Amino acid sequence: MELTIALALNGIVWGLIIALIALGLSIIFGLLDIINIAHGDFFMVGTVLAWFVAETTGNYWLAFLIVPIIGFALGALIEYTVIQPIKNAAALSIVATFGLAIILQESVRATFGATPERMLPPIHDTIPMFGIEYEVYRLFAAAASIAAIGAFFLFLHRSKLGTWMRAVRFDPETATAMGIPARRIYMITFALGFSMASLGGVVAAPITTVYFEAGVDILPFCFMAVIIGGLGNLGGTVAAAVLLAFFEGIITSFTDPTFARIGSLCLMSLVLMIRPHGIFAGATR
Amino acid sequence: MTVRTINRFGTLVLVVFTLTAPWVLPVFVDAFWVDIYSEILIWSLLAASVNLLFGYVGLLSFGQALYFGMGMYGVAIGIAKLGFGFWGGFGFGVVLATAMAAVAGVLAVRLTWHYFAIITVVFSLIFYFLALSWKPLTGGDDGLPFSMPPLISVGDFELTLTDPDVQYFFIVLMVGACYAIMGRIISSPLGRAFVTVRENDLRASLIGLNVYMIRLSAFIVSGFIAGVAGALFALFGRYASANFMFYHVSGEAVVWAIIGGVGTLFGPIVGTSLLIVLREELSHVWAHYPILVGIVVILTVIFAPKGIGGIWAALVHRFAGANTGKGGDA
Repeated sequence: MELTIALALNGIVWGLIIALIALGLSIIFGLLDIINIAHGDFFMVGTVLAWFVAETTGNYWLAFLIVPIIGFALGALIEYTVIQPIKNAAALSIVATFGLAIILQESVRATFGATPERMLPPIHDTIPMFGIEYEVYRLFAAAASIAAIGAFFLFLHRSKLGTWMRAVRFDPETATAMGIPARRIYMITFALGFSMASLGGVVAAPITTVYFEAGVDILPFCFMAVIIGGLGNLGGTVAAAVLLAFFEGIITSFTDPTFARIGSLCLMSLVLMIRPHGIFAGATR
Repeated sequence: MTVRTINRFGTLVLVVFTLTAPWVLPVFVDAFWVDIYSEILIWSLLAASVNLLFGYVGLLSFGQALYFGMGMYGVAIGIAKLGFGFWGGFGFGVVLATAMAAVAGVLAVRLTWHYFAIITVVFSLIFYFLALSWKPLTGGDDGLPFSMPPLISVGDFELTLTDPDVQYFFIVLMVGACYAIMGRIISSPLGRAFVTVRENDLRASLIGLNVYMIRLSAFIVSGFIAGVAGALFALFGRYASANFMFYHVSGEAVVWAIIGGVGTLFGPIVGTSLLIVLREELSHVWAHYPILVGIVVILTVIFAPKGIGGIWAALVHRFAGANTGKGGDA
């Protein structure tokens, strides 16, 4: 029972982190119509940058400030050099982002090395919860993810830029005619997607391994959250990520974790075939 | 010279080179390039299966590794666990892959565009995880090795793939047969229907083509081709492993097909050769050469989305046009 509780809690924490990453994937797909195979690697770059910041400055908390900014800049650069020129070859965008994934992974392997590193959580304490001792850092990670997701939704619905983003997604031509700089909105969206994935990387760095292939493992999960939640349905993405991770956590406590993964993938195929707009279709968009 | 003559000449050069490679390659370079060329031929089939779907029917599959893996496991399980002979194992692998493609295709070709790409990856991931966890049957991470049964055994006379020449020409024969099948299909009415669906599926359905069945048949043929590639690779490496079912293998096949040029019969061979030769030559010099591959992929998508095949076609047309003075499509 203790194991089940611990794994279920871990599942919720991971689900929130995944939700943060998958939101970036979802806005990139929704606005730019691009399937971003490199998105997992944006997360991986986040974990590696967090590791570098912690190693060089000795202060892990700085990473929360620095890494999303670097992520934003990198995202803007990639949008300008790679994504903008392939706008006319939409079918091949998957291939281009696959190339991008190779470049990111190999660059990290060249600089950071191929050996996985573990980071110690900046908070070591545990507190009793539901009859088990639970790591405080994981609770902090969940809180940080919720805060970031909340901030993103506030930004999307309350700020001018966020309104512009929704307008461009709704109807790019009319939005441009109304004077919204659609070109710049695309760039900001992509950069924001990278930034959120890298922030997810910072949050997750102490509870996962930091290595150049980490993105490959996490990418299918992000896609599951986005598809099951409904492509473009941002609230659905968050809900799906948390629910999926929670159930995978519970199933894992009884059986082989890969069976949990296979179950989620089958659910995802079903959703794609039967309800391509996600299981929460009709909910908030 | 017309375009056709030049292309025929190019095909002839490729065929002559392939048939003489075991003697020519050791003279000019090293004998191990014969093995690498066999590997190129096998992998080019996987790229060709991507090309058949994307280049001719317009469906980008990111899950061809599944049928490749089915071909591999069919051979390995058939020989190591079920006690099949050489041809039994080979046939089992190909049939398994084709059957898998038929089942997956019935579901997958209902979707198009991004959704099709995603569902093909999802299917391949499901079976990748299954293969990883079902250790008694598949060997999981370690893979499933098997010992090579003889190809033909009559009395004292025995032909096995342990003889490098036999292995090479067996691979050439099988790969050649696959390209012949693909070439035949592409020039048949079914091939024309493929292109019609790619260009405009609505019009295709309005002139009475059954778009669903056409996509499904392309999917099954492409699964068959990938299955042959996987079965050959299992025989070539004498083992099967789940690692070859991961989506990175599918992605690599897509990259080879795109760089070689989609929508041309031999584009996949060109793309696969270029990238595998690059890998063999560069990996000693610069361990991080994949960065270069990634850059080439992105540049190809931006500047030459038709790949090397497209560049070649443009050059040939210009050359032929200038020579005959017609210059029709130069």
